[in-house]
Amino acid sequence: MSEAAETEKPKKKGKWTRRAFIGAGVLAGGALVVGVAVRPGNPTDEMKKRLAKGEGEELINAWVKIAADNKVTAIVPHVEMGQGSQSTLAQMLADEMDADWEKVEMLESPATARYASGAIGREFLAPTLEVPKILEPTVEGSFLKIADMMDLQITGGSFSIRGTGQRDMRTAGAAARQMLIAAAAEEWGVPAEEITTARSMLSHKASGKSATYGEFAAAAAAQSLPVRPKRKAVGEFKLMGKPMPRKDIPSKVDGTAIFGIDAKVEGMKYAAVKAPPVVGSTVEKIDANAAKTMPGVLQILNMGDFVAVIADGYWQAQQALGKVQATYSKSEGQSLDQDAIFKRYSDALDEAGSDGGDTEISEGDAVEAFAGAAKKVTAEYKVPFLAHATMEPMNCTVSVKDGKCEVWIGTQAPLRIRRAVAESLGLGEDDVTLNNAFLGGGFGRRSEVDHAIMAARLAKAAGYPVKLIWSREEDTAQDFYRPSSTSRFEAGLDEKGRVVSWNNIHTHLFDPQEAPTVPYYAIPNQLVRKVDVPMHLRFGPWRSVDHSQQAWFIESFVDEVAEAAGKDPLVLRRELLEGSPRHLAVLNKAAKMAGWGSEMPGGHGRGIALVPSFGSIVAEVAEVDMTGEKPKVSKVFCCADVGFAMNPDAVKAQMESAIVYGMTAALYGEITIKDGAVQQSNFHDYQMLRMNEMPEVEVALINGDAERLGGAGEPGLPPVAPAVTNAIFAATGKRVRELPLSKMNWA
Amino acid sequence: MKNTAIGAAALSLLLAACGADPAPGPTEQIVVREPGQAPKQAAAEPATDDAPAGDIIATGKEAFAVCSACHAVEADAPAGPGPTLYGVVGRKAASVDGFGFSEALKASGIVWNDAELDAYIADPAAKVPGTTMAAGAVGDAEQRKAIIAYLKTLAG
Repeated sequence: MSEAAETEKPKKKGKWTRRAFIGAGVLAGGALVVGVAVRPGNPTDEMKKRLAKGEGEELINAWVKIAADNKVTAIVPHVEMGQGSQSTLAQMLADEMDADWEKVEMLESPATARYASGAIGREFLAPTLEVPKILEPTVEGSFLKIADMMDLQITGGSFSIRGTGQRDMRTAGAAARQMLIAAAAEEWGVPAEEITTARSMLSHKASGKSATYGEFAAAAAAQSLPVRPKRKAVGEFKLMGKPMPRKDIPSKVDGTAIFGIDAKVEGMKYAAVKAPPVVGSTVEKIDANAAKTMPGVLQILNMGDFVAVIADGYWQAQQALGKVQATYSKSEGQSLDQDAIFKRYSDALDEAGSDGGDTEISEGDAVEAFAGAAKKVTAEYKVPFLAHATMEPMNCTVSVKDGKCEVWIGTQAPLRIRRAVAESLGLGEDDVTLNNAFLGGGFGRRSEVDHAIMAARLAKAAGYPVKLIWSREEDTAQDFYRPSSTSRFEAGLDEKGRVVSWNNIHTHLFDPQEAPTVPYYAIPNQLVRKVDVPMHLRFGPWRSVDHSQQAWFIESFVDEVAEAAGKDPLVLRRELLEGSPRHLAVLNKAAKMAGWGSEMPGGHGRGIALVPSFGSIVAEVAEVDMTGEKPKVSKVFCCADVGFAMNPDAVKAQMESAIVYGMTAALYGEITIKDGAVQQSNFHDYQMLRMNEMPEVEVALINGDAERLGGAGEPGLPPVAPAVTNAIFAATGKRVRELPLSKMNWA
Repeated sequence: MKNTAIGAAALSLLLAACGADPAPGPTEQIVVREPGQAPKQAAAEPATDDAPAGDIIATGKEAFAVCSACHAVEADAPAGPGPTLYGVVGRKAASVDGFGFSEALKASGIVWNDAELDAYIADPAAKVPGTTMAAGAVGDAEQRKAIIAYLKTLAG
């Protein structure tokens, strides 16, 4: 039957309304496109051309493709950087459409604005906005527009599953299933309600008819679009909530997975680069005499803002680059040292005092309540700059030819890269084709565009394809750092040891801020403020963004308040979370897993922390052994409520990896500045957590709300540092007020 | 209130990024040669050192390339992932100042001689369970012998 359908021109039955954007998608020219196709003039035919390439393949909609051989391809707009969300997104789509998981494949969507995600725009611009149902389509539409403008085909913000998955993939899957049923009902002349679906098959029991999805793929594309396709209730889930093996794992095990750095392009040469050590400086002069005679060297370039060597091989380029002598212009930042940075912070905080700065939260009168408090607690905490240290260093391969450009990269933000490259070359965005590969770690670093612009400029200057690879030293010294920060707290207790006031001010270097604006402890008088401190360095999102600093500040101070109130840290947290049942359940579960309150040997201690972030709630209990020369974290118990764990195995893996990444930062992570430049260069002075330092990790999941999902990639990170430092206090009585722990003398 | 402010900030950033001029080309571009063009000087140098074949120390030095990812060989070299191996032969294990040795290696009581080094390089974790030397095991006995011969030359 597919043959007949192919020759038949697809009918246009569906009609687009604003409402349909939320519902499911569009039917136009035989292709069904979900969500982002709502705008007038969307070239769905072009989409169809790009995605449905095979013989007899029909594009059902932008998120799902069904081939005549019954193979289902989930087209996902998010990238694979180790977090596994592509696979889970496919799982969500497959479940809603009753597809056979064995026959489901994934395809990363091409970098076109049609996949720009409105949900992430909304998340950034108005995360707490409550929208009446009737206005939703309009609101979503406007956020979509903003997302499009901001080039947000982004993977970040722990948002793929809870945003794209929950909103788009499931809707698309349900719509596809409904359209397949409608097509079969029409062909077989039976009521649609009597047709059942399972494992990519349609069946009608009474007539004994059955067919594969593939057989009806073409006919389904001509069916009208369900405005609000019915999605499964939790009880009907077959794949969602199951620990399905991730589809990206086999290729990573057998080595066939292709990362950005694996790009191979006909005729490409290799570039190594070095930017001025101080951000804001330019390259004044280069002496390339020694480099010119080095083997393999093709070109030596002063690009103004960096020096480059292009050679036949990467190692040759890097070796020759080391022989190029460069002088740099003086710049504003070059007089800045590490101590001066923290001095700036404390000066700014001094000036703001107890009620100055920009107010983020103000409830009651924290200043007055503190003045009249029976007991007062104050503390100051400091955290350093951090680098991302992705395992795969920054790289990008670019070919520029005849006014067209092609880019090979592994990026969290394909559209942003495409636009940046187009602008840097003076081309239109449609002249730039982007090929995105797996990312060897992202953590926020790969949402930046700097390395792609460099590669594009070099390829243009050279006249042949160039593969740019940063050295580890360049990667460490030219990052967009997690800001350092100083935070001060004042809390007041009444005679009964109840917390009556909470006053916090912290330094602020980089938007967006989320953490300090989400108070989760019920304290009657709260004042939370920030003070901006300008600096020449570049800052960017780092796994869990500002929660990485704020959670450590807040959860350390809550522990100090508990100590002052003479209460167990768990007991005080329970009191402050009385009105938040989900938070309490997570806290109590983690405490129970760890056997909170049970005896520990001398020199050992337990610490707890709870942090809500990215829509999820995570509590962790760390056990430390302080009997050696330095702290040894022996166990971490983690309980996470991500709403509903679509793939529990993947969620657990994310919690574990966030704990490793967070422990690396807590134990060792520190970028320092001298004369305006970063002092660290490689893993010997920017250490990672080692295998023998890895604690045993136990993760439990709670499905607290299947309707409102939270993220998984980041929320596991914030609680680990405070859990560890609170444990150190429990073991030693020493309060840690500055990270990393490697700075402290434990003798 | 707060959300509006963040939104405005994000949008203003966005507007600032619009309509940018193309990025500048090179201020200086030295073209040494075009791709495919033969280098002016013969690049084909002999791959091996001028040491005579069969020289065990030269073989060891070559085999040491694997080790050099972590270990320096100069007396005052800063610590990498592993300590400097200058003067390692005859030295007590875990005795280089300023390197964070594992408790296991410190407690091992090993004094590095041919046999101890051979066993350790063959399988560090088996010889000293708990060592942080997670990589670099050399399975080939001849290679280990050569590496140890080379290590012996690293002393004042």
